[in-house]
Amino acid sequence: MNLWESFDKNEISIIIMIAIAYAVIFLLPKKFTADITLLFLLFGFTIGVLHDFTIGGGLIDFYRLNNSHSYEIFDFLYYLLFAPFSYLFIYFYEVFRIHKITFIWYIIAWALIGVGMQSLFIWMDIIHFQNGYELHFSFPVFLMTQTITALYYEIVSSRFKVFKE
Amino acid sequence: MAFTIFFFVAWFILALFAVIRKKLSLIENTFVFMVILVININWAWIIIEEMNVVKLTTEGMDYTAFLLSRSIIIPMILVIQLNLIYKLNTVFVFTVSLIILLLLTFLSTFFHVTDYIKWNLGYDALYYIFLHVISYYSLQLFRKTANNEVNYS
Repeated sequence: MNLWESFDKNEISIIIMIAIAYAVIFLLPKKFTADITLLFLLFGFTIGVLHDFTIGGGLIDFYRLNNSHSYEIFDFLYYLLFAPFSYLFIYFYEVFRIHKITFIWYIIAWALIGVGMQSLFIWMDIIHFQNGYELHFSFPVFLMTQTITALYYEIVSSRFKVFKE
Repeated sequence: MAFTIFFFVAWFILALFAVIRKKLSLIENTFVFMVILVININWAWIIIEEMNVVKLTTEGMDYTAFLLSRSIIIPMILVIQLNLIYKLNTVFVFTVSLIILLLLTFLSTFFHVTDYIKWNLGYDALYYIFLHVISYYSLQLFRKTANNEVNYS
């Protein structure tokens, strides 16, 4: 386990993106209660970790993060980027008042944003695909995760107080 | 054989969770599950890939059994025990939960899904005790966050 293999483009990119992503969350008007905010930040982070350690490592090993196969501090920081992704997903879900019809387009739009972000990560040398994995495979992955997130949010918002007063 | 057993256990644990009377709310259960899942995934990676003290199978079906155990069975057992300690004897629930986790870990080594190199069941026991403590305190943290919100507003 290293802090980092070498400090270059990918590490700087991660720091800049973390700063932007968390600044956006901080600056946007607070919409949700603290527990719901914490829950969905962790939701995104968990999805990132689960996917990366399931298809991005071990026996399947479809991609490598940053400069080496071993665990770096910047791998962890990369997973932290998934937390705002999930939060912003439910934030704009409410901003745009997504309902049954717009649900489909909203999920597709976010899946495309996810693929777009991933192509940006490739350009920044954060992700390196291997073992036959191609960028478009991520589209079904994002479709699935965004659908699960939205359905879970629908259940949570129907049973709990999610908005700040 | 490992895949069949671990698939059954994963199914059984999920079915059990579905039918028990839960003392935690949906969001509390989700929060604790995700905390344990993240820790367990990182822990497994560190001891297998970074420290090389445990060797993981390279056979596909056995590897799937490992994924089921790592990502579903272990976190769900921790969530279930947390729901049960609020209505049954804490020491009893903790002991049964620990024994089940160690039994499953033994099965994993028995079927060579994982093989100990410089590791033993005692270290796993310590880790599982740590997970029980974390599950309890992560719930307290989440409840405190929710309560602070109520007090604040």
